[in-house]
Amino acid sequence: MKEALPWLILFLPLLSAVVITLFTKKDRELSAKLSIGAIVGSFALSMLFIALAGWEPIKQESLVTWLGVGELQVDFGLRLDALSLLMLLIVTGVGSAIHIYSYGYMHEDRSMSRYFASLSLFTFSMLGIVLANNFIQMFIFWELVGVSSYLLIGFWHERPAAADACKKAFLTNRLGDFGFLIGILLVWSALGSLKFSVLEIELAKNPDALGTLATAAGLLIFCGAMGKSAQFPLHVWLPDAMEGPTPVSALIHAATMVAAGVYMLCRVFFLLNAPALAVIGWIGGITALLAALIAVQQNDIKRILAYSTLSQLGYMVMAVGVHAPSAAMYHLTTHAFFKAMLFLGAGSVIHALHHEQNIWNMGALKSKMPITFWTFLLGTLALSGVPPFSGFFSKDEILVAASHQNGVLFALGVLVAALTSFYMFRLIFVAFLGPAKSPAAGHAHESPRVMTLPLVALAVPTVLAGFWGIENLYGKQFGLVEEAHPSSWFNHLFEPFNHAPLAALAGLGALVFGLSAAWHLYRNATRDRLPETFGVLTRVMQNRFYFDEFYATLIANTQDLAAKAADAFDRWIIAGLLIKGAHGTIELFGRALRLMQTGNLQTYTFLFVAGVALVLFYVFGR
Amino acid sequence: MNAPLMILEIAVVLLGLVILLADLWTPPSQKQSLGYIAAAAVGLILLGSFFIEAPQARYACGQMYVMDDLALYFKRFFLLATVAVLVMSVEFADRIEAGISEYYALILFALSGMMFAASANDFVLVFVALELITVTFYILTSFQRSRVPSLEAGIKYLILGALSSAFMVYGIALVFGTANTTNFAEIATGAKAISAKPIFLLGLLLVLVGLGFKIAAFPFQMWAPDVYQGSPAPTTAFLAVGSKAAGFVLLLRVLFSAVPEVTVSWTKLLMIISGVTILYGNLCAVPQRNLKRLLGYSTIAHAGYMLLGVTAMSVAGSYAILYYLGGYLFTVLAAFTVICVVMRAVEGDDISAVAGLHQRSPLLAVTMALAMVSLAGIPPLAGFFGKFLLLKAVIEKGALQPAYYWLTAAALIGVVISFYYYLGVVKAIYWSEAPADQPALQISKPTRFSLYGCIAGMLYLGIFPNDMVEIALHAAQALKL
Repeated sequence: MKEALPWLILFLPLLSAVVITLFTKKDRELSAKLSIGAIVGSFALSMLFIALAGWEPIKQESLVTWLGVGELQVDFGLRLDALSLLMLLIVTGVGSAIHIYSYGYMHEDRSMSRYFASLSLFTFSMLGIVLANNFIQMFIFWELVGVSSYLLIGFWHERPAAADACKKAFLTNRLGDFGFLIGILLVWSALGSLKFSVLEIELAKNPDALGTLATAAGLLIFCGAMGKSAQFPLHVWLPDAMEGPTPVSALIHAATMVAAGVYMLCRVFFLLNAPALAVIGWIGGITALLAALIAVQQNDIKRILAYSTLSQLGYMVMAVGVHAPSAAMYHLTTHAFFKAMLFLGAGSVIHALHHEQNIWNMGALKSKMPITFWTFLLGTLALSGVPPFSGFFSKDEILVAASHQNGVLFALGVLVAALTSFYMFRLIFVAFLGPAKSPAAGHAHESPRVMTLPLVALAVPTVLAGFWGIENLYGKQFGLVEEAHPSSWFNHLFEPFNHAPLAALAGLGALVFGLSAAWHLYRNATRDRLPETFGVLTRVMQNRFYFDEFYATLIANTQDLAAKAADAFDRWIIAGLLIKGAHGTIELFGRALRLMQTGNLQTYTFLFVAGVALVLFYVFGR
Repeated sequence: MNAPLMILEIAVVLLGLVILLADLWTPPSQKQSLGYIAAAAVGLILLGSFFIEAPQARYACGQMYVMDDLALYFKRFFLLATVAVLVMSVEFADRIEAGISEYYALILFALSGMMFAASANDFVLVFVALELITVTFYILTSFQRSRVPSLEAGIKYLILGALSSAFMVYGIALVFGTANTTNFAEIATGAKAISAKPIFLLGLLLVLVGLGFKIAAFPFQMWAPDVYQGSPAPTTAFLAVGSKAAGFVLLLRVLFSAVPEVTVSWTKLLMIISGVTILYGNLCAVPQRNLKRLLGYSTIAHAGYMLLGVTAMSVAGSYAILYYLGGYLFTVLAAFTVICVVMRAVEGDDISAVAGLHQRSPLLAVTMALAMVSLAGIPPLAGFFGKFLLLKAVIEKGALQPAYYWLTAAALIGVVISFYYYLGVVKAIYWSEAPADQPALQISKPTRFSLYGCIAGMLYLGIFPNDMVEIALHAAQALKL
């Protein structure tokens, strides 16, 4: 029974996806309920399993040998440890809230069945990544996640922007996955196994087993994370992915899928050596800063949150880079809660304003949408790192780790923290407070219960997750010494300040700086005054540092050039010389030989006898 | 005499006589269906052949007639081919003005000749069996008496066949003159002493010329395209499958049972013949627009492929030939059955007659496409695995003599060229528009079964080759290579 539970958790969503696609597509309500039932069931079973088996159940479960070719043995197995179990709870828990919310948000949509089928497929794929016990299995689910994300971003496929966005997301991800796959092959060729547990033991026995390939393999595997977790320079797809329905943005592009990259890095942390980690740290730091800077000058509520997600993902990746995977996972966990809630809040606003997304057309929503406002505020406080909210603790752990490893990255982290609180409070001041800046904002109403309840549900962990000892579970997973548990909540709150006062105070200072700047600039503002002060810099931020334009030119030029060259090669060398040439010569030969076949009996007889003579000459005449 | 050993041949000859007699009492409107009776009877004889076992070679008529696994394999092969050819003949019957029963009977007599050939252990029986086959084919090729191409084919086959028979019988005389025997076993034991005599070698070469004519190998292939094109379709099919296979079984017996030492010394010659035959057949097929003529050239190329197995001089090569023939049987009969049905209303057998065939009859289109793909040697069809076995046998020998690699290269080039014209037919079937106002295609039940059987055979041999490999290997071991 206990052994079967994880399989059930994994396959329930798939079952729901299949049933909806094949049978209940016509019945929108039933489809939605099936999908919601599947994920809530998975969530309940996950909790049941943890209650039964604890956080350290059987380390390995490998049921089926899926593929065996020579030395390559690929199992289909589930890896169950604190890391995957916590992730399981996040995916199914946050997922449940978002599924329920979707029921309200998507209720008017014709294709609600398709939406929920895709959502279930996504959940299945994501759980597959989380539970995978080997690289191949992870890669397969990795790609499945890519596919379902593609389906969901492009859910409103009749909109050209959505169609473009899902294409962009898929292609960008493929780019990263290509590196990931090569990395996997490198690891396999060097170590002869793809199973995480076997690899871990091999590397523990002989740290130099990968030899000179170690850095390359680590970085190639990181490429996969770069795509999925949208790290610089592959970050461009995530903001565009906001074309999908808002709950999708909340689930996939805030809480789960984009976290897969970070999760994967933590899963294979033992594979990464110091040089690779250094690169990872810098990439994460750069992404965090870049995205935060861009977020400052965005006006679309979802895009602000998207860049904020990018920035936070950069934080997590940076945490991995500064040898603190447990901090990364901690932040991933808290971020999943509050960012999902922020997105759902944004969705609630968008829903109330009839798909208005520009924050400069909002304002004064505080009184009209109280639940949305207060939960959004809680999320903002957590994201900005206000104690005692969950974000404060997880961000603090990252800053502490950074301060130990790399001073520059630490400074970067603090700067990003300041920017974060600045752009988030800018959002709060402009969208929720101040005067109403459009008629639509004046007529807004609070969203229905089915949408506000998930907000409230997510608010609970947003506020309290810092006190649940999540960091200790992760710490044990990564072999950190368990610190003496603070005796009370009160002590826990002040523990960061005693333990590493520099990081905690710097974080707090950054928060205060950002908040006061936002207060100064945007309180009761009706337009953005920042461009007047900073001119060029803000324009660059507004235009997202011209990355899209740069890539467009780059791709257009190189691709056109390559395409022209390939076309010329194909046209002249392959089709012209090789095909036409070979075909022509053969045709010529055939026609020439046909001349021998005159149909004249005398000629045939002559040739026959000549043939006999030829054979006789060959045998006797030489 | 040991006549019971020849029970299968006797049954076939008797069946032929019965058909001729039955013709007297059958009303004209029913005469066509005598073919079905003949086919069913041949099918029964085929079933009966499975009650015969020949783990040890047994002999009849002195040592002239041998019954071993190889003989049995080919007898079954010929019986099976004849069933399909008879069904095809009924399909074709309305295009033959008179004497359809004789047509069936002649097919049966040719069959008995082929079955004797399968058991030949003596040059005399070789000659008699071959003449039995050839003489009946003279008539079968020219059976459409009012059609000039058919008569032309008959005349060409007659004159060139007579020429080759002359060479052959002269060769046999020379062999007998030097070896004082025509029996394979006795020649083999005394071969050391006589194989150095040029007259003996000359005699053997002339025998090979006769066999080369039968299988249409270069440079004795001139007759094939014209005769294939002019003859009635069932005759062409029987020529391509039965007559050719008879040539091969005799070639195997003569080369490996009678004079293995001499054969080894002629490896190079055989390799040249094989390679040139492959290239010639494939190159000449490229510009062809007439479907039957195209298949005529294609069968020349296939004779070349099967000669690859001979040049390998090994059990592997021989059983590859047997396997190849098995796949070839289904493939060629499938193609000719389709031609037989489609060309009913069309004069000239042009490829355009099958244009857009998939719209007119999916079954015929699929059969023809599969046949072409199998002939081209594309997996998972029988033709692919056959070619694979042949090339494997040749490459295995490459370590001893690099010339084998050149032969392999020639064969592969031939295969690549052949894609062009085989797939051209497939292209016509699926990507060309069917000409308007084509009459509907009627496929009779037996023909339909025959087509299903051919498709099943092509697929089965291609996908599950193991059983057939086992059987072919067993049969080839009778050669004592």
